[in-house]
Amino acid sequence: MDQETVRTICYLARLQIDEDKAQKIENDLETIIEMIGGLQAFNTENIQPLYSPLEKTAFMHEDIESSDNQKEKFLQNAAVSNEDYFLVPRVVE
Amino acid sequence: MSIQFKTIRELREMLDKKAISSEELTNETHKLAENLKDLNCFVTMNEDASIEKSKIIDQADKTDSVLSGIPLAQKDLFCTEGLRTTCSSKILSNFIPPYTATAVKKLESAGSITIGKTNMDEFAMGSSNETSYFGNVHNPWKKGYVPGGSSGGSAAAVAAGIVPAATGTDTGGSIRQPAAHCGITGIKPTYGRVSRWGMIAFASSLDQAGPLARSAEDCAILLNEMSGHDSKDTTSLDIECTDLLDTINQPIKGLKIGIVKEFDLGDLDSEVQNRFEDSKKLYETLGAEFIEISLPNISASVPTYYSIAPAECSSNLSRFDGVRFGHRAENTEDLNDLYIKSRSEGFGDEVKRRILIGTYALSAGYYDAYYKKAQQVRRLIKNDFESAFKSVDLMMTPTSPGTAFAFGSKGAQNPIELYLEDLFTISSNLAGLPAISIPHGKVNSLPAGLQLIGNFLREDQILNAAHIFQKNSEFHLDKPSMEEF
Amino acid sequence: MAWEIVIGIETHVQLSTKTKLFSRASTEFGKSPNTNVNLIDCGLPGVLPSVNKEAFYKAIRFGLAVGAQINQTSIFDRKNYFYADLPKGYQITQMDVPIVLGGTIDIETDKGIKTINITRAHLEEDAGKSIHDQFDGYSAIDLNRAGTPLLEIVSEPEISNAKEAVAYMKAMHQLVTYLDVSDGNMSQGSLRCDANVSVRKIGDPELGTRTEIKNINSFRFVEKAINFEVKRQIKQLENGEVVTQETRLYDSVKDETRPMRSKEFANDYRYFPEPDLLPVVISDKEMQDIKDNFPELAEEKEKRYTKDFGLSEYDAQILASSKIMADFFEQSTKETKNYALLANWLIGEIGAFLNKDAIEINQSKLTPSNLAMLINRIDDQTISGKIGKSIFEEMYASGASPDEIIESQGLQQISDDGEIEKIINSVIQENPDQVTAYLAGKDKLFGFFVGQVMKLTQGKANPQTVNTILKERLKE
Repeated sequence: MDQETVRTICYLARLQIDEDKAQKIENDLETIIEMIGGLQAFNTENIQPLYSPLEKTAFMHEDIESSDNQKEKFLQNAAVSNEDYFLVPRVVE
Repeated sequence: MSIQFKTIRELREMLDKKAISSEELTNETHKLAENLKDLNCFVTMNEDASIEKSKIIDQADKTDSVLSGIPLAQKDLFCTEGLRTTCSSKILSNFIPPYTATAVKKLESAGSITIGKTNMDEFAMGSSNETSYFGNVHNPWKKGYVPGGSSGGSAAAVAAGIVPAATGTDTGGSIRQPAAHCGITGIKPTYGRVSRWGMIAFASSLDQAGPLARSAEDCAILLNEMSGHDSKDTTSLDIECTDLLDTINQPIKGLKIGIVKEFDLGDLDSEVQNRFEDSKKLYETLGAEFIEISLPNISASVPTYYSIAPAECSSNLSRFDGVRFGHRAENTEDLNDLYIKSRSEGFGDEVKRRILIGTYALSAGYYDAYYKKAQQVRRLIKNDFESAFKSVDLMMTPTSPGTAFAFGSKGAQNPIELYLEDLFTISSNLAGLPAISIPHGKVNSLPAGLQLIGNFLREDQILNAAHIFQKNSEFHLDKPSMEEF
Repeated sequence: MAWEIVIGIETHVQLSTKTKLFSRASTEFGKSPNTNVNLIDCGLPGVLPSVNKEAFYKAIRFGLAVGAQINQTSIFDRKNYFYADLPKGYQITQMDVPIVLGGTIDIETDKGIKTINITRAHLEEDAGKSIHDQFDGYSAIDLNRAGTPLLEIVSEPEISNAKEAVAYMKAMHQLVTYLDVSDGNMSQGSLRCDANVSVRKIGDPELGTRTEIKNINSFRFVEKAINFEVKRQIKQLENGEVVTQETRLYDSVKDETRPMRSKEFANDYRYFPEPDLLPVVISDKEMQDIKDNFPELAEEKEKRYTKDFGLSEYDAQILASSKIMADFFEQSTKETKNYALLANWLIGEIGAFLNKDAIEINQSKLTPSNLAMLINRIDDQTISGKIGKSIFEEMYASGASPDEIIESQGLQQISDDGEIEKIINSVIQENPDQVTAYLAGKDKLFGFFVGQVMKLTQGKANPQTVNTILKERLKE
């Protein structure tokens, strides 16, 4: 796993690995990827992926309003908010 | 009167006979938890609310509910309204949910009393409860040894006799393996039996909630309450649940139990093999018949699981971004910086590893080879089970290749060592099948567990087989000495 | 220059369901921040989505109307990326198996009808809103909009210029409002589009590099943004530069497009099927119900208007072109039978006022009842058409009914022969020179006398009566 790939997936996941741990984590990732690479040995021609163990379909709900909004509690849980909004460092488009 | 190590039935009797009031029981439980706090099995205690509830129960009319007034511990993965829920992670160390998980709500509606939230592997990722932000949980059988994971806190709380039962969650074995390492019973039901609403998601297509208790019967009592369709969970089954206690006493003469050919037990510790053989013999005397079955693709279980679970978790954990709840880093330059610092500070190493693996498995160019491939192999594994279940009623394996081990002795160099703990348990999560672990003796003085895997929606059958085993043995009655704590 | 323009449009249509796509929070516009937000919309740990069937029904109606293939089994996928108004860190959308595949929309161009092919249309949830300039140093997040159902409709790159793009968007607007799929309110964000624009030398088989202009929310801006972008790209290419593939925003103040900062880094969305939702299956019975309850579209309405209301084809077409106007018209027909006059007023006078204020009739103070009343009063000669116009202006400004206005201003038409004759007599008496001139042959002076009568009656005299009696009196 090259440096570039590691950097890209770290960025996609918005994670930063400490310098002192970087090598170990990279080695771990390589080991795990090698392990899961073992799947290539299994023949899956014409096999549909199984995304859920349930062979069933979604039931859908009616278009009727039912609110469980708790605005104050939602905003309170945020590290930075005011009485109306969640706040983040200003984004420049 | 000591309440330690009592089962639900025993506590129910004490309450009904007024030998103890609900309030006294709750207070005693909290005292016990406090005395045994070196176990580190609780993250947050629910003292005030639990005592309040116990008082109300004492004053109310007697109900038919078996669980009324019974103290339970809830794994800290379930959202509990007003009560801190952390998933044993720094990133949620201050999170107070505004709602309660359905599974917990059902237990509480049945009258049970939530004593506290139990410690676990961070975000349920682990097999030893060594990745918690709040420190390791000790195995009540041996200090400095792991209780198993990820539901280590729940297993330890039950094994140490603090509570008669607790809730756990199982994505790759996280109920069954700690149950085995702690000498208690734990069951993962069929995928979709128990609602996942309020259960903080790790791997959505694998996660299931279930009980840990001192016996199969007590597990059945909890699972009866926890199960059922929930319209808030699209993946929850809309199938009638029968009372699991109705058939739990059925004789098992003629029961066909499968032994998986491909699980070569010859590689395991000889004592582990011996326990397995002993249990086999016991089942034979009880009338069961053993048949060798083949699950040709079973060796793919671990790589399949470790492609799918990290992929789903990498997405499920994206919501932990420091914006609306949880830990937010200080002094960040812009939004991206806020995300990167909050998440890097908030997550532990194992969680980061899994998120990165998952991100990789889903990324452009690798999706087909890893995630999609794994889901295809998953179907092969499920098909294998379906075929095998044509000739047997259930299957039997050891729950874990080994027993509890010392802190830090596994996985430090190579993470795969710990992943292999789940060798026998993982496949039932992939196929969505129910499975139970019951204690069946000791290996080098530490508990060993026996696993029974059932067919789709056949929790009743594995509970029945487990219960009959327990009626004819005493392993589940063993208690740790607790001298070290 | 021999340049060819290639445009593809992605339209985001907010569905007019009462609740969101995956939660039962209200979708009502304009509510106080973060109140139309359920646990699910907040992306809290442990929450799970659940599907709103009405969103599917609306998407299917659209698909049927454009002659598309409906995938009765469709799948939701996760699109993973980080942004402040995306609470879960992923958007639930449809990638591999969308609900609608194919279809066509006809647009009117100056060269006749052109058919634009639709690639696909799928359901997805909208994100919340970020407000960047209200709080110093912060961006504020409002999740009211998060989770609102969107139908994303992707056209083939077959649109050839800005005017066609506008025609396409207008046709889309008419279609979705007619189908009751969306309220099409662009100022509220119910209909917005992204335009993919590229240019190439005529005859060049290769497509040029395209840029994406995001979130355009008015027909005017569609035209301006595309025109600017095309000019910009052509200039770059003519200068020997290369067009960069990027995402851009249209700045309506400066009338220019510029690159979007947050899209600087190429994103790998890592799509995978949503494990919390299972495949959605629409039954044959549900499909039949949708077909049986299909709303009347513009062409059918036109036909009905000419047949049932006796309107001219021209009038019928104009009224039917906007569902809002058509609905208003039909409501009014419940209270007046003079359909032709009603249509005239709507298309002419009222149309002009609405255009000036750039509003729809249902955003004005007019009501079908009041308009019907106005038509009736003109019809039964209570007031003249001319007075009717000033009454209308008052109605439009205040929302009062014609009767109220007539009453308060005493505007009833004077039709009494006796009264009018009296006034005519006094006009004749006071203007003897003009009378003489008229009788000598200056016919045009007739208008002068009419004018005098009108002046004396503040315009309330019934014009036909005035004409008749004046002619008679002058003869004598």
